[in-house]
Amino acid sequence: MASGELLTVSGIELEIVRRGAGRPIVVLHGFQTVDREAPYLELLGRHGEVIAPSSPGFGHSPRPKDFDTVFDLVHLYLELLDTLAGDKVALVGFSFGGWLAAEVAAACSHRLDKLVLVDPVGIKIGNRETRDILDVFNKSPDEVRRRSWHDPDRFAPDFNTMSDEALVVYARNREALCLYAWHPYMYNPQLPRWLGRIKVPTLLLWGESDQVVTPDYGRAYSRLIPGSRFELIEGAGHHPEIEQPEVFAERVSRFLEE
Amino acid sequence: MQAWYHCENVYPFVPQEVLDRADSVRASLPNKYCDPKIAADLFEECLDEHLLCDDLGINVVSIEHHSGINSLYGASPMILGILARQTKKVRILSLGTLITIRPDPVRVAEEYATADVISRGRLDIGFVKSGDSEMVSGNANPVGYVDRFWEAIDLIQKTLTSHEGAFSWEGKHFTHRHVNIWPPVYQRPHPPMWAATGDPETAAELGRRSMVNALVLRGPEASKRAFDTYRNARREVGLPAPGTDRFAYAALCYVGDTDEEGVRVGSKTLWFLNTSLKQSPQMSKFLPGRMPPEVAAQNYRSQPPPGAQGARRPADSLIGITAEQAIARGILCAGNPDTVYKQIMDIYDKVGGFGHFIFIGRSGFLDHQEAEKGIRLLAKEVLPRLPMATPTPAAEPARAAD
Repeated sequence: MASGELLTVSGIELEIVRRGAGRPIVVLHGFQTVDREAPYLELLGRHGEVIAPSSPGFGHSPRPKDFDTVFDLVHLYLELLDTLAGDKVALVGFSFGGWLAAEVAAACSHRLDKLVLVDPVGIKIGNRETRDILDVFNKSPDEVRRRSWHDPDRFAPDFNTMSDEALVVYARNREALCLYAWHPYMYNPQLPRWLGRIKVPTLLLWGESDQVVTPDYGRAYSRLIPGSRFELIEGAGHHPEIEQPEVFAERVSRFLEE
Repeated sequence: MQAWYHCENVYPFVPQEVLDRADSVRASLPNKYCDPKIAADLFEECLDEHLLCDDLGINVVSIEHHSGINSLYGASPMILGILARQTKKVRILSLGTLITIRPDPVRVAEEYATADVISRGRLDIGFVKSGDSEMVSGNANPVGYVDRFWEAIDLIQKTLTSHEGAFSWEGKHFTHRHVNIWPPVYQRPHPPMWAATGDPETAAELGRRSMVNALVLRGPEASKRAFDTYRNARREVGLPAPGTDRFAYAALCYVGDTDEEGVRVGSKTLWFLNTSLKQSPQMSKFLPGRMPPEVAAQNYRSQPPPGAQGARRPADSLIGITAEQAIARGILCAGNPDTVYKQIMDIYDKVGGFGHFIFIGRSGFLDHQEAEKGIRLLAKEVLPRLPMATPTPAAEPARAAD
C-alpha cells in the first residue's frame, strides 16, 4: 500500500510529501490528497519545510481498524504536532483538511504560530433547511465539477487520462471522506462554539468562485475566529492552491512572514 | 418445495418522457408523479394477490424498497402487520427490512416479533444488505454498511432470543442500553432467518449461521457459486451438509395456458429490469463503499481503456434484457405449465437443488387479473410437481460470527 516516504504517528503510518527546509509548515489535504507534482508545493517550500501527510484511508495511508471519525483524525494531528521539532508550527488546511486544522487549532493553539484555512468546511451556518456545503456525494458529478472549479475544463481531473493507480487513489479518497464526513455532513455542530479558542494569527483564503462552500460561508467562518483575516482569491473555485498557485503561495508566504 | 409469491408493488404509471428525462427513477424522482389514489388501488390488488396465495398454499414475501417506481413498499414491517392478520395459513417472509439504513435494530426486532405473534408463528425473517439509492433515501453512510448489516442481525437475533429481562448492547454501530421487547417472538428460538446475497463472503457467513441463502435474479451460475460457497463454509467449520431447505432461488415467473401467453404476459415483468432500475451515477456507480476502490476506480472513466471492463453490479447487466435472453439466463421462467416446470427444474439441476422458489409474478404493467391467473396456474399445475425440500440436519444452534 505504501508509496514514497512514510511518517509514523501514534503507531499509524502516514504517506507524506515533503518540500523545502526551515520552519515546519504542515499541510492537511482536502477531499483529495496532495498531488506531489502540484506547483504550490514547490512555491510554499521556499518559505519552510512543507510536510503534507495523507490521512488514514486516503492516498496510500492505511486506515487502522476502528479509526473512522474526525475525532480520530484531530487527535492524530495533535499527536503529529507533538512529534515535530521546534516550538511552533504553521498549519495550513484545505477544505476538509481546513476543518481538521480548525479543530486542531481550537484544541492546541499554543503549538501553532500561524493558521491558514483554505476554503474550509466544518461548521454549520445556515438554518436547518439550508445546506451550507455542497453534497458532493448526492449531487451529479457534472454539478460537483462545475461548482468546484473556476475553470473546470482546465483544472478538473480528467479521469480518462489518469493512470489506474491515480484513479484508485481518487476512489479511495472519496471512500475515506465519505466514511469520516457523512454525518453530520462535513461539519461538527459543536465547532463554532470553540473556534473562539483559536489564539493564533489566522488567515482564511477563499476561492472567489467556490460553490462548494461560498465566500459568504467563509466570511461567517472568519467572524467566529477572533482577529482572523478573510481574503478572496480571484479566478479560483474550491481549490485556489491548484487554480492560482502563485497567488496562493504569495498570500500564504506573506502571511507567514508577518 | 416451497413456493413464495413476491410482488414489489411497483408503480409503472409515470409518463415515459418523465422517466427518460430523470437521471434516476428512485430516490430523487419527485413523488408528485405518484398518485396516491392509484397507489391505494395497487396496494389493494397486491394484498389481494397475497390472500389468494394464502388460499392456494403459496407463501408470501414482503419486501422494502425506498422511494421510487420499483416498489411502493416503503416499510416491510408495516406490510407484515397486514399480512400477519389477513393471511391465515401460509408463511410470510420479510425480504427484508433494510437494516443497514435503520438506526435501531431493536425496533426492527420488536416489529418482527409483533408480526410473528399476530401470525401465530408464520414469520420468516430475511435480511438484505441494501445499497445504492436506498443509502441516499435512507440517509445511511454507504461506507461500512456490510459491517453494519451483520451487527444489526446479531442484535436482532439476540433481541428475539432474550427473555429474562433487559440486556444492553454497546456495539460498533449500534448502542442500546435497555433491550427487552414486548411481545417476545412467537417461534422459538426465533423465526427462520434468511438473507438475499450472491457475494461469496456473505454466502459463507450465511452457511456458518445456517441461514437460508436467497439469490434474487442472479441466474443459475451465480446461484450455484453462492450455494457452493455456503456448503464449503459449513464443511470448513464442521457443520453438517445443508439440505436444499437452506437455498432459495428467485426469478420473474409467469405461467399461462399456453407458451405464447406465458411469454407474452411474463415479458411484462421485464419492466422491472428495463425501466425501474435506473439510478443516477452518484447514487450508484460513484457511491463510495459500494465496491472496493480498486474496482470502483474504473467507473470514473467514461471511455474505458481497450480491453478493460467497467465495474458493474450484477443488476447492471440486466438492464435492456429481452425475454429470450432472460429465459436463457434463468432470470425469467415463462410459458405453459409444462414449460415453466421444465425451466424451473433445469435451473434446479444446474444449481444443485433449492427448497424455495420465489417467483416475482407481477411487475410493470402486468395487471391484477393476469397476476392472479399466473398464481393459480403455478399453484395448481406446477408447484405439486416440484421436488420436496430436503431438510438440513440439526446441528448446534446457529452461531454468531466471530
